[in-house]
Amino acid sequence: MAADQHILNYFTAMDNQGGIIVRGRTRFERLLLIGQCSVPLCVDALKAAVAEAKRGNDVQRYRDAFECIRVAAPDEPEAKWDEAWVTATEKANKAETHRLESELKGYKNNLVKESIRIGHRDLGEHLESIGDLNGASEAYIKMRPDASTQSHIQDVGKHIISILLQKRDWAAVLANANKVLAISPGSNEQNTEQPYQKMIYGLAQLGEGRYYDAAKSFLEVGDPAGCQAHNDVASPNDVATYGGLLALASMDRLELQTRVLDNASFRNYLELEPHIRKAVSLFVNGRYSACLGILESYRNDYLLDIYLQAHVPAIFSQIRSKCIVQYFVPFSCVTLDSLNAAFAKPGESIEPELINMIKTGALNARINTIDKLLVAVSTNSRAAMQKKALDSARNYEKEVLERIRRMNIAAADLEVKGSKKVVGGGGAGNMPGVGDVWMDETRRQPTSNDTMV
Amino acid sequence: MEQLAATLLAFPESSDADFSLADNLTFDTAAKHHVSKLSKMLKDQNALLLTHGHRLIDLLDPAVNTLSYIAVLHTLLLPSPDSSIPRDVLLNKFVRFLYVYDARQARYARGHLQELLLAAGSGQYLPPSVAVDALATAILRLDPTGSMLTMYHLNLVKLAYQTDNITPALPVFDKNIIYFPGMASYGEPKFLCDLSLPPPAYLSRETGLASYLKTSLILEYDIFRGMSYCALRDWAKAYDAFERVVAYPTREGGVSKIMIEAYKKWVLVSLLATGKLSEPPSYTGAAANKLYGNLGKPYTALAVLFVADNAEALKAEVEKNTQIWSEDANTGLVQEVLASYQKWQVLGLEQIYSKISLSEIRKQTTSAETGQALQKDEDVETLVQNMIISGMLNGVVEKNDDGTAFLTFLSPSAQLSEKEFAKELAGTAERLKQLQPIFKATKERLGTSKEYIKHVAKEKTRADKNEPDPTLAFDAHVDDEDLMGGVVATG
Repeated sequence: MAADQHILNYFTAMDNQGGIIVRGRTRFERLLLIGQCSVPLCVDALKAAVAEAKRGNDVQRYRDAFECIRVAAPDEPEAKWDEAWVTATEKANKAETHRLESELKGYKNNLVKESIRIGHRDLGEHLESIGDLNGASEAYIKMRPDASTQSHIQDVGKHIISILLQKRDWAAVLANANKVLAISPGSNEQNTEQPYQKMIYGLAQLGEGRYYDAAKSFLEVGDPAGCQAHNDVASPNDVATYGGLLALASMDRLELQTRVLDNASFRNYLELEPHIRKAVSLFVNGRYSACLGILESYRNDYLLDIYLQAHVPAIFSQIRSKCIVQYFVPFSCVTLDSLNAAFAKPGESIEPELINMIKTGALNARINTIDKLLVAVSTNSRAAMQKKALDSARNYEKEVLERIRRMNIAAADLEVKGSKKVVGGGGAGNMPGVGDVWMDETRRQPTSNDTMV
Repeated sequence: MEQLAATLLAFPESSDADFSLADNLTFDTAAKHHVSKLSKMLKDQNALLLTHGHRLIDLLDPAVNTLSYIAVLHTLLLPSPDSSIPRDVLLNKFVRFLYVYDARQARYARGHLQELLLAAGSGQYLPPSVAVDALATAILRLDPTGSMLTMYHLNLVKLAYQTDNITPALPVFDKNIIYFPGMASYGEPKFLCDLSLPPPAYLSRETGLASYLKTSLILEYDIFRGMSYCALRDWAKAYDAFERVVAYPTREGGVSKIMIEAYKKWVLVSLLATGKLSEPPSYTGAAANKLYGNLGKPYTALAVLFVADNAEALKAEVEKNTQIWSEDANTGLVQEVLASYQKWQVLGLEQIYSKISLSEIRKQTTSAETGQALQKDEDVETLVQNMIISGMLNGVVEKNDDGTAFLTFLSPSAQLSEKEFAKELAGTAERLKQLQPIFKATKERLGTSKEYIKHVAKEKTRADKNEPDPTLAFDAHVDDEDLMGGVVATG
């Protein structure tokens, strides 16, 4: 139940300071996700989600949240369909879209570039707020021809990326982030844009499952204040969590020490999530079970995060197997009992997990079930080299022979040839395209006419 | 009779072994002279030869008077054994001849030797167990490198496989076939007796010692060879043999049915030899590859299940397709595959365990023959012991103090000493060096082939016609006929 308590704290913290931790459209998404995934928080989260939806203009979101809460808690006041609000909002939305479109038309007639760009942007922002992501991204793309300065281009890029993030189109996010945020070196804006850029990279790489790259991106985010400015994407707390977890999952101890713990700018983030820092330093100090214990107690939190949710099992299992590997590194031989004590849940054996790790190649060791040991494989690189050398010599010889053979077959004109005339080989070649073709029927068979001359 | 005997014994002039070492010119003249006399005798005095044959043959030593011996033996034996001499005596002489004949002289015997060898392989004269061994010896006497495929090889492989006398033929089967009859020929070599000639120079249709082979016969040779190795359960060699058929050069999208059959067997043997399905070699014909995929489906499906961890599904798949296996005559191989499933599972455990108790092996592996785990630990022990004895598994079964039997996997073969290693590498280099003359011969042959000369002539006229174009000059180095693409013997 301690875990539940955690979540509740987290949730209240989030709800109380919601405007501070995250804002923008992801706020609703996060609430809805929590409502859908967490049993103890379901009703509260959904209620908040309904309120959040009604605060905006997106009717579809209200519908989604309503459907959920109708099922989960039909007695709550939020579970009543607010037809009046829906009709009013839809009408207002339509009017607003119409207004913006006609304004845009006006701008276009006037041929003022800046006005056209603003017109497109306003329309895009409006469409995004009412949930028409495709329309919004179209409007944003139309901004591009009229963007004249670097900051305009960046503006376009950010808008497009925000849409792509909502669509979870990671590959496109990366492509756009590369294209749009490529800032000329030495420019002053580099520093202010870096947090945003790195965050976007990190999220997209996380979404694609490239944990090591994502970890590096998050660790390079830099100034927390800059990050805070973009907390509609991810809050500094998120950056700390993502960066720390992914680094744990993908980096070795030395790298963790230099890149995470000794990283001055990332330290600011770690202060926001002290348990992550604790976990990392425990890992670096070799106290793996304590590290895993901390992470395990926060697992439920991570499962309620919109970006992290899908990757939690993978990340955790990577961290776990890394712990086991690291634990094993200094030894040539470890008893299974001590491994069980360090890693396994009480009463369970770690053996199946070890087998799995050995099979996937994560752990280079063999299990000795008789003496209950895990034995490191001592690689004899000399023998390996010899084997490799002999193998390649043998293969080379084989290939040479085969090539000479094939040349001679070609020289003797003995290849199997395709031909229109298909003659069944041994009377059985009636398969389409198959048949033994006797091209050389004219050639003589051994005859007894050859005499001794 | 005396006159005949005198003629027959006239060559070689002295019976001491030195003559076989005579220089090419002497030997060639003498042998040609003798052959012309012999052939005249065969033509004019055939009847006389027949009557006195049984006495004449006693006078001659097959190892010394090989040419004369061939003439007499041929007369007596073909087309059917002469009645003047007891059949078993004659056949005894025939066999002895095959073992000891002098290959240098025999080269001059032309069609007669060919017919004798074909007769030995036909199975009509000699009992198969004798014939296979004798013919194998005879083939290697004629061509010690064993690198040229002949009709005798085909007779040998069929006889050996069909009568199940494979072991004596192995020395021939194990040789690498490089040459094929029918390659553009040199014409008659200057000295047929020259022992440094490459096999295709004297084993050609012009010299009457070999005849052309059809493509399908070459394929047959390798598929029969593969099946022979299968019969001996030498899966690795069978795999190589089938692979040759599978990857046989094709042109214009041609595929032979024999290749398809070979592919099916190759899939099964690859499971037995390597525990998994391998891809056909990269140089496999595209059309063939496509057909393999289509027509070999039941087999590849089997292979997929073989590597999966589900013995029952494998067994079910095998039973489902019983008819296919028996139509393709692969039932035996499929049974072998089923039997080896568990063995490969045990081998897979080596990647995970260093020591494991037999009862755990029993729990973790399943027999594909029954679809279930083995009943008793003793069965596992038998299985593991058999694997160790056959060399498939490198390990020992031991017993603990409390009586639990367990298997210890041993590390792969100990490291070689510096000397042994150098010796191994030198051996490979030596073998590659020996390929040098073959490579040279092949290059020469390709260089003189009609297509190549045509190609060169065409290139030349084109070059003459056009002003030398600097961009073309670069291309000119890329020679169409340079099939060796970077393979040059080194070392």
